[in-house]
Amino acid sequence: MLRFIVRRLFLLVPILLGVSLLVFVWIHLLPGSPAQALLGERATPQSIAQINHQFGLDKPLYVQYWRYLVETVGHLNLGTSIKTFRPVTFEIENRFPATVELALGAMAFALAVGIPLGFFAAKKYGSFFDHSSLIFSLLGISIPIFFLGLILKYIFAVRLGWLPSIGREDVLATRSHPTNFYILDAILNGDPGALWDTIKHLILPSIALGSIPLAIVTRITRAAVLDVQNEDYVRTARAKGLPPFQVDQRHVLRNALLPISTIIGLQTGLLLSGAVLTETVFAWPGVGSWLKDAIFDRDYPVLQGGIMFLAVVFVVVNLIVDISYAVINPRIRLS
Amino acid sequence: MSVAEIEAREIQLEAPTGGLWADAWARLRRNPGALAGFFLVGSFVVIAIFASVMAPYSPTHVDLNALSANGLPTGPSWQHWVGVDQLGRDEFSRILYGARYSLVIGLVAVSSGLSLGLLFGSVAGYVGGFVDSLIMRFMDVMLAIPGLLLAIGLVAALGQGLWQIMVAVGITNVPIFARLLRGSVLAQREQDFVLAARAVGARRRGILFSHILPNAMSPVIVQGTLAMATAIIDVAGLGFLGLGPQDPGTPEWGTMLTQADQYLESGALYLAVSPGIAIVLAVLGFNMIGDGLREALDPKLRGRVGKFKEAKAEPPDGRLVPEVGESA
Repeated sequence: MLRFIVRRLFLLVPILLGVSLLVFVWIHLLPGSPAQALLGERATPQSIAQINHQFGLDKPLYVQYWRYLVETVGHLNLGTSIKTFRPVTFEIENRFPATVELALGAMAFALAVGIPLGFFAAKKYGSFFDHSSLIFSLLGISIPIFFLGLILKYIFAVRLGWLPSIGREDVLATRSHPTNFYILDAILNGDPGALWDTIKHLILPSIALGSIPLAIVTRITRAAVLDVQNEDYVRTARAKGLPPFQVDQRHVLRNALLPISTIIGLQTGLLLSGAVLTETVFAWPGVGSWLKDAIFDRDYPVLQGGIMFLAVVFVVVNLIVDISYAVINPRIRLS
Repeated sequence: MSVAEIEAREIQLEAPTGGLWADAWARLRRNPGALAGFFLVGSFVVIAIFASVMAPYSPTHVDLNALSANGLPTGPSWQHWVGVDQLGRDEFSRILYGARYSLVIGLVAVSSGLSLGLLFGSVAGYVGGFVDSLIMRFMDVMLAIPGLLLAIGLVAALGQGLWQIMVAVGITNVPIFARLLRGSVLAQREQDFVLAARAVGARRRGILFSHILPNAMSPVIVQGTLAMATAIIDVAGLGFLGLGPQDPGTPEWGTMLTQADQYLESGALYLAVSPGIAIVLAVLGFNMIGDGLREALDPKLRGRVGKFKEAKAEPPDGRLVPEVGESA
């Protein structure tokens, strides 16, 4: 087990090196330059040269790449945003918690609705309810997130006015955020008003972002329960006279949770790697919308640092999923 | 029935009735979901081809007289079935023309991504060794970058425009197909018929093209259909982020949705709903066909043309466990 983990960690090195090289080459292929994007029409050759010099963009490319590697790996320094002049690590500390909170909210929504839905669909196999759940989950993966987001915003924010449509908290709020996880902060500060405000802001984006995982969780749960239901041990449990409720809970659902847990891990990894569209629709200050803006602003350090960071998150989450899968399911041997 | 009779019957049921494709088609025909999918995609294609005949107005015809007194878009009426947009253009005609963009961009993107992925995947799977490692590590690198960001970045690097979108969406598809095909080829490589072909002295390329690839294709076809669905969403997503076709007047569904966003407050919901529903129906169609195809091409179900209901659930599949490329 330990050998497997160590080997997998070593395998990450060439992948991350590849990502850094790919990102580096790509951003230098982008037309325009950060100096131009920053200065706009006021750009003079002198001011452009000054900005280029300040950020080391006048050096040869291989020198720039080497410096970027040394700084990133050696000093964990991702540079400074050319747009905001704030360190990239500072931005990530502020924005990644927002993305994590949104991803967890979306996953919580998907599981809370998807598992019961899939379970009862399988229990009532072939019934009207079963068919509706299949159609429902097909619709879930067919609706573009930004469309669903717009509709949710229109109904619950514009029309009914029940929920806020943008941001993470009330724009006028002046609260301290020690961890940048706003829900956690509200609890730490012992502020129920802030907690409610934060949760209210989280609801619509979570539903929009959770629509795809919801559909997937529903289908996997249904398939897994159908599979497990025909197993011998379930028949044995029934035969020995256990109440149906206990058979479902202890034997069927427990074993069906195996494939579901893999999906949860994989989907969480995907959600964490930047919900660009959801964050754009709901003006959510996360990593995805930040990187999207950085592409338009030609903010090289943000792109280099931010995409690298997301790549690390993505591969590490996938590794954790693989390991936890082996831990949960002893029948799987890692090779 | 005696045991022998039962066995004979089982063997008969297992036996393919008329080849993989005839079999699959027979099963597809009995699947109401797949039929509905064919209907949706069929209408989508017909609309895309005959948009100019079916549309009552030109999609780019600006008619400021059609706007309301205070210059806002107006809702459905007898002249304009789905209302007009902020420039008085007929929304219904724009939706019909929009089908062209989605269909063509999706088709080109998926087929180019598929062919490149096919090439990489089959070479990696069949040649193996160093080449395999090199190709697959490169695919891993591409997979580690979030798909939509990769697409946005490519469009930003190549400049806005139709073919740039096709390239961007196509490239995000390459690693998905490469991985799928490599796995499939690896599984086929060990089959007895490959050994037999090698034994009679067939050449490597010949074995790859005439024995391995045809047998490794069915998951690719399923994934290709589902990738069309994702591509349509991705193209609309790029349009929504302002990276659609260069001319903002192009009736592309995602671009239309962004523009509608500004009019939500004034209650012009139909401007967001109509392109949105168009996207959903097109995507739904491809997803339903993909689902149907997966069931129809499943080798475990082969030779049973709907006579026996499977007790087992459908296996978890590629589309439901997306590795990348889902736009969030």
